[in-house]
Amino acid sequence: MASESHPAPAAAAPTGRSPWRLALGRLRRNRVALAFLALFVLIALFVLAAPLWANHVAGTGPNTTHTLEKIEVDGEKREVVNREGKPIGPVWFGAGGRFFLGADGRLGRDEMVRLMYGGRTSLFISLVAAGLTTLLSIALGLLAGYYRGWTDSVISRAMDVIWAFPVLLLGIALGTALAVGGLQLGPISISGSSIWIPILIIGVVYTPYMARPLRGEVLALREKEFVEAAVAQGAGPLRVMLGELLPNLWSTIIVFFTLNIANNMLLEAALSFLGAGVQPPNSSWGTMISTGFDVISSEPLLSVLPGTMILLTVLSLNVFGDGLRDALDPKSKLRLEAHAGLAEPEGTPV
Amino acid sequence: MKRLGTVLAAATMVAMAALGLASCGGSGGKEGGTLTGTYASFPDYLDPALSYTQEGWTAMYDTYIPLLTYARANGKAGSEIVPGLAKSLPRISNGGKTYTLELRKGLKYSDGTPVKASDFTHAVERTIKLNSGGSPFYTAAIVGAEKFQETKSGGIPGIKTNDKTGEIVVELNRPRGTFTNELGMMFVAPVPAGTPMKNLSGDPPPATGPYEIVSSDPGRGWTYERNPQWEKNNAKLMPDLPSGHVDKIEITVVRNDSTQVNEVEQGSSDWMQALVPTDRYAEVKGKYEGTQFRVEPTISNYYFWMNTTRPPFDDLKVRQAVNYAVNRDALERIYAGSLKGIQQILPPGMPGYKKLELYPYDMAKAKKLIAEANPSDRDITVWTDDEPGQDEAGAYYQDVLKKLGFDAKLKVINADNYFTIIGNQTTPDLDTGWVDWFEDYPHPNDFFQPLLSGESILPTNNGNFAEIDDPALNAKIRKLGEEEFGPKQEAEYAALDREYMEQAPWAPYGTRTLSTFVSSAIDLDKVIFNPTFGHSLASFQFK
Repeated sequence: MASESHPAPAAAAPTGRSPWRLALGRLRRNRVALAFLALFVLIALFVLAAPLWANHVAGTGPNTTHTLEKIEVDGEKREVVNREGKPIGPVWFGAGGRFFLGADGRLGRDEMVRLMYGGRTSLFISLVAAGLTTLLSIALGLLAGYYRGWTDSVISRAMDVIWAFPVLLLGIALGTALAVGGLQLGPISISGSSIWIPILIIGVVYTPYMARPLRGEVLALREKEFVEAAVAQGAGPLRVMLGELLPNLWSTIIVFFTLNIANNMLLEAALSFLGAGVQPPNSSWGTMISTGFDVISSEPLLSVLPGTMILLTVLSLNVFGDGLRDALDPKSKLRLEAHAGLAEPEGTPV
Repeated sequence: MKRLGTVLAAATMVAMAALGLASCGGSGGKEGGTLTGTYASFPDYLDPALSYTQEGWTAMYDTYIPLLTYARANGKAGSEIVPGLAKSLPRISNGGKTYTLELRKGLKYSDGTPVKASDFTHAVERTIKLNSGGSPFYTAAIVGAEKFQETKSGGIPGIKTNDKTGEIVVELNRPRGTFTNELGMMFVAPVPAGTPMKNLSGDPPPATGPYEIVSSDPGRGWTYERNPQWEKNNAKLMPDLPSGHVDKIEITVVRNDSTQVNEVEQGSSDWMQALVPTDRYAEVKGKYEGTQFRVEPTISNYYFWMNTTRPPFDDLKVRQAVNYAVNRDALERIYAGSLKGIQQILPPGMPGYKKLELYPYDMAKAKKLIAEANPSDRDITVWTDDEPGQDEAGAYYQDVLKKLGFDAKLKVINADNYFTIIGNQTTPDLDTGWVDWFEDYPHPNDFFQPLLSGESILPTNNGNFAEIDDPALNAKIRKLGEEEFGPKQEAEYAALDREYMEQAPWAPYGTRTLSTFVSSAIDLDKVIFNPTFGHSLASFQFK
């Protein structure tokens, strides 16, 4: 009844879709990317559930040792670590969820609990380091690209210095140096065994890899008319950078951020494997591979399990990241496909 | 029976060496070839003045010969001190305060420089100047050495040498029952007079033994070749020492012990210096014992030190609580049967050993002691190295401290640098940690003076990690060290062991067996494992 009291519009105004909605639509149609996003969410839920499993099922912490304990598996008493130092293998639910995946070695720590907590550590480091890389890259990219001149020179040369070293080598050097004495940054003191050390290292060594492309984009964007218009209206440098340039960088930043998480996870695993990342007894998937590697001939599961988790997480992030890039920046995909003679109409599911 | 066979073989070797036959290489088997071996980490130093680990001493056993040395033999026979560069054992006079030795005439270093009596003085001065972990043996004993340590100049008046006659006279402040043994330590092996006063691990000094180190790449490996002066001069002058069988020895650092086992199994490496890792121990022992594998008993102590000068370990109750809370059975299992639990300073096999069990595992008692002590500082750093066994022992210990209510953080350091780092008093947070000790010589003083005497607390290369400095106990160590060793002293050392354990500066947890594992190309029966120096590289021979 109410609708009848209002006059109908003369003609329906065309409804425009924002670039974000367009991107979301493209992403929704990319089933593979969504499937791998679901896989990543599952992995994240698995590791987030670590305290629940540890407290309510396994009844032990990730670093608690059980060398001399015996557990009842399907009514039979079994040693967690036998006299030759061999740890118990997976017992699944034979002991009510305790030692579901067996023990991690002669210390008799619960492998399942360590895998879950290790995943938390690995994911936390990867995410926070990616956040740090992103913040540093945005700041450096905007400053270098907007101001150009000597600011650009100083920032670019500083990044060249970091870039000159292979990422892993630089990470090991910093990790080893900081593992003993820790880091003192003014009033902030970070102990050598803190997970903030690998976070800082990873966050810093990957910065040039993100800051450089952002700087390139800023250099191109600052010549556009909308920037000139903002300057003409009296906008200061900070307003131009944050209000005009940054919003145009978000799609690049989001894609880089996602792919950076995957790279960080691999670097964290490599550093921890080499003893320059997460310090024992804290577990990360990298340290777990390292611990398991010593006994790979007799207990292959101890390194295969965390290795598989890293593989799945990195794969899921990379495939999803690719999908995200295709969704946010379809031109680059079309360009690539056009070169290969594979151009398809926009929106065709991949 | 296997042990008996090994001992008999070793005894035969010693007898042959005494007859001068071993140096002629006439005992069958192939002469020559290149021996390839692996270490799990680079030794602390490849410099005789500085190295204070069994890994380092093994590497230099047949390279740097002190005035006196230890018989190239397995087991107890290897504890016998014999003349090295000196003609005979020292003549002791002046109530045990003067030691006179005579250098063998005609000895030369591998670079052709003649060995002089005054080179001994240079070696002692070098050890002291470099603040070596071995310097307390000599600063406390030799007249004027303590002052030399302070001033680092002016020489040591207590050492008089005559390069013409080769006579070396050492005057001691007071009698010292262990000084003969201490003359056989690597620290005072003579080196040429011009040898720089710095760590020479990357360019080791010229050798006097059958092998010289021709190249060294710290962290990665090193190579030996036959000392050209050995055949020409030194072998004839020191007929009791073996000349070695292989022409060249190449040592590589391979961090993964399991890889080392694989390489020896496949024959791509002939020997691994490290213990067969615990997870492969049973497999290797079962497959190769008697043909390529042998268990080597040692006189050693594995323990957790607690820094008695820093809270919370400055409180006796806390230290005792830790001793009650450490379960030696768990640690035996962590070392997969290659460790036997002990709760005292002197390990089995060392004179003076009398079994002590002051701290049977009792977590409830430990927690009660902590409650009584109620330490205000509960932040603890636990130090250990990254070699198999030690890293897990450190993690176990950290868990124990957490169960006692401490906020314990584990610091795992690369084994190459571990002792240098924890032996440096400027390193922050030296609260507690793992360490091991293998005998330097078969005298109980070796487990007290360098590890527990206040005189052994050094700014660098410190060995008294607990930093215990009890004047009454220091005096007892000094007094016992001065006396000739006999049954009375043996009983007093046992009592001293108890007194120290009542102070609980350590939580000792075990004594270790090591292993010899060689490729099928090597004659296992010929391989000598000296209880102090470990493997004698000169004993390796291809079948």
